[in-house]
Amino acid sequence: MNPAVYGILFVVFAPVFGGLLAGVDRRVSARMQGRVGPPLLQPFYDVGKLFQKTTRQINPIAEPLLLAHVGYMAACGALLLGGTDLIFTAFIFALAALLLILAAGSANSPFSFTGAERELVVLLASEPFFILMMAAVCKVTGVSSFGAVLASTQLVAVQLPGVVLAFLLVATIKLRKSPFDISISHHPHQELVSGLTSDMSGRLLAYVELGHWYESALLCTFMVLLFNWSVPLGIAAFLVAYALEVLVDNATSRIKWQLLLRSTWVATFLLCGGNVLALFLLGR
Amino acid sequence: MSLPSLVAALVALPAVVGAILILITRTPLRNALVVIGGVAIAILAVATVISFGNTSGVFFGLPGGLAPGKALIAVEIALTIFVVVISLMNRRFLAPLLAVAQLGISLYLEIAGKMPEPDPSRLFWFDRLSLVMVLVVGLIGPLICINAIGYMRAYHRASPMIVGRRTVFFSLLFVFLAGMFGLVVSNYLPMMLVFWEITTICSFLLIGYTRTDETIGYAFRALNMNLLGGLGFGLAIVLLSNQPNGLDLAKLTAGPASAALLPAIALLAFAGITKSAQMPFSSWLIGAMYAPSPTSALLHSSTMVKAGVFLLLRLSPAMSGSTVGYLVAFVGMLTFLFASLTAVTEQNTKKVLAYSTIGSLGLIVGCAGIGTPELAWVGVMIIIFHALAKGLLFLVIGTIENRLYTKNMENFDALLSLMPRVSILFMIGIAGMFIAPFGVVIAKWTAIRAFLEVPGAAGAALILIMAFGSSLTIFYWGKLLIKVLSARRQTDYERSIESRVSRYEWITEGAMAVGVLLAAGGVGVISDQVVGPYALSAFSATPRVFLALDPVMLIVMLSTVLLLPFVALFSWLRPTYDHADFYASGRSANVGHVMGAALGGIKKVTLRNYYLDGVIDGALMFRAGTVACGAVLVAMVTAGMVVR
Repeated sequence: MNPAVYGILFVVFAPVFGGLLAGVDRRVSARMQGRVGPPLLQPFYDVGKLFQKTTRQINPIAEPLLLAHVGYMAACGALLLGGTDLIFTAFIFALAALLLILAAGSANSPFSFTGAERELVVLLASEPFFILMMAAVCKVTGVSSFGAVLASTQLVAVQLPGVVLAFLLVATIKLRKSPFDISISHHPHQELVSGLTSDMSGRLLAYVELGHWYESALLCTFMVLLFNWSVPLGIAAFLVAYALEVLVDNATSRIKWQLLLRSTWVATFLLCGGNVLALFLLGR
Repeated sequence: MSLPSLVAALVALPAVVGAILILITRTPLRNALVVIGGVAIAILAVATVISFGNTSGVFFGLPGGLAPGKALIAVEIALTIFVVVISLMNRRFLAPLLAVAQLGISLYLEIAGKMPEPDPSRLFWFDRLSLVMVLVVGLIGPLICINAIGYMRAYHRASPMIVGRRTVFFSLLFVFLAGMFGLVVSNYLPMMLVFWEITTICSFLLIGYTRTDETIGYAFRALNMNLLGGLGFGLAIVLLSNQPNGLDLAKLTAGPASAALLPAIALLAFAGITKSAQMPFSSWLIGAMYAPSPTSALLHSSTMVKAGVFLLLRLSPAMSGSTVGYLVAFVGMLTFLFASLTAVTEQNTKKVLAYSTIGSLGLIVGCAGIGTPELAWVGVMIIIFHALAKGLLFLVIGTIENRLYTKNMENFDALLSLMPRVSILFMIGIAGMFIAPFGVVIAKWTAIRAFLEVPGAAGAALILIMAFGSSLTIFYWGKLLIKVLSARRQTDYERSIESRVSRYEWITEGAMAVGVLLAAGGVGVISDQVVGPYALSAFSATPRVFLALDPVMLIVMLSTVLLLPFVALFSWLRPTYDHADFYASGRSANVGHVMGAALGGIKKVTLRNYYLDGVIDGALMFRAGTVACGAVLVAMVTAGMVVR
């Protein structure tokens, strides 16, 4: 099949995947906390409802920025599956994340601004990983597009154990799970005001959710890239990782941004850096 | 007209305009001459490029077959006397020593008869790299000069304590351009050195424009460091003078340097590193930030630092694969990393831009040092996009600074509501620097791919530096964007600010912004027609595709180009003050960016960006970079001397 078709399929089905994942997440989390939890499709009901609500505009530029955020998240996945260079998609991924930050910061209010600054720290903490991961995958396989990596006979995850480990850490950050949920929190017991989205309402909030669903699907795609010899295995690995995230999410309390930045950079430097160094020294 | 006469005119015209400007004291007359001279230079630059056509490179001499003869040494003596006199007047003693030492070298070669006669038909070399540089200098330079008319008027109004010397100022801007044009078309190294020193002295005078103790100190720092580089250049000429064809740049850099040539290559690279403000010589460019903004714009975008990376790119094929080349690359890449680490902790926007420049130049130096066709491609692409975007950013910062009376990015709060049109220009500049897929980002992407091919630990280190350094640039640009994009209700006074921006500033900054957008949209054409062929011919490499853009990527690129201007336009059309107030923990926020406080009081909301206090110490990072790069630099020069 033409890779472009995969790209279009991503744009259509990624939100379904991301929304379902969020639904499962909420139910599993509820069980861990001794609650029954909402229906599986609750995230979709929520977003549907948000679209019907009145939207309060603090700064009207938030809306085009958020739409662009969703658009670039979708485009990032479409480009990745459509065969664009892996390293290039890492830059588009960062751009998409930045647009959400700008939308929040544009409200110029205490809670949104703090959330935006913290999310910027999150981006700073996680971005080196994504660049290194894509570079390492290219180095191992000698090719630079999604389809070619899947077709490669090199077993990426086997050669990149450090990157896989670092992925677990960075995924926690990107999925905004505790202890790294510094910019936005879904847990009322930790924070009454949610940070990044404080000044967003109605359809603006729906865009944020939609963007996050794409982001989850995109992370799953990255995992498939690491487990390149079998797509189901890659998705399974992502789901296992996600289950771990949910467990960690419920078992830890959030840390300060200083610790987040330090720990992530040190982990990325040691795990990914060490792994990449080994690749280069072994002449791969 | 033929190419040789056009090039000669290109060097002569700005010099003549500069000489006339110093005689003109009447402001309207001076403004007119600056505009006419600027436009003429731009037209000449374009005419030169058209006349060059699509050849890979031509060599030529002075019109009429003249030899430079003793003219070069005469200019050198004049420049040295000037440096000695002005330094002694200010009681500075290092600069005269360096200048006299360099002159001594030249005189020794001349008197001992060791200077080989140059081939009169190979004094100049015009190829696609010269073409890029001529366009960068010839189009961006005049825009900065014209912009300075409006800027300097507002500057002296805002700072009445500073004695205006605009006659000298404008004259120097044009002489500077003349020096740059000469430098980028020189093939005979002693001639290039003369132009090299002209740019050094012009930048020294421009930095010291306000003549306060502070700026004089920074001016001399710039002078000392660049004269040190010039001394390295002079020593390289001594070493090359007894090599066959040693002083012919094109022949010197036709391929990997032989062991006999490496010491001289290392010294030339040293000169390039000082001029491009790489660590440990970065502090001169930071000090230059205290000069008026057009000076910063000129030093950063089209002249001075670009001369340094231009020379390093010229040397790139010669350094390729050698220890010297690798060490040069590490000076650049470590500078990129440490300058970015410093930039995230800086509040002064001009200094953030300066660290960003140092970092971007570091990338170019890194690419030049490794020396593959792909990396040479990256280096030239960064030169083009950095010159456009950074030139625009400095001009815009200058405009903002003279209206808001601040350079601190914390005070750029709600710029989009205060100065909507200036903000659009500002955002185009920022987007050009770091938002995918603008030119600099495309270059970074290609650089990572090329670094994957570098064998051994060096390759891994380069990839790591790219990953962390790029992320840091996102952080400091993102912070600046948050401040610019935020909104609040304005006072009547604030609403009138933008109307005081002069016509000169609107036209020049608008033209630069259009340039950034055109270049971003035409990145494929620039790559295919100019930069790609240059990289292939410089390395005599087999044809290859440097930038493969599929249609989807092209759509993504074009949408990104238009995104931020569209957002700004949106805000302009729908002013923010008609909308809801932000959330403030139940006590509703009120008009004028205040929050309800205890006992019915109100508190003004002040929001401050993160500067990573406690995690990254900017001053420490700058020192660490200086020490690390200093050590690598010493190793580089030593390797050039001893490693065979």
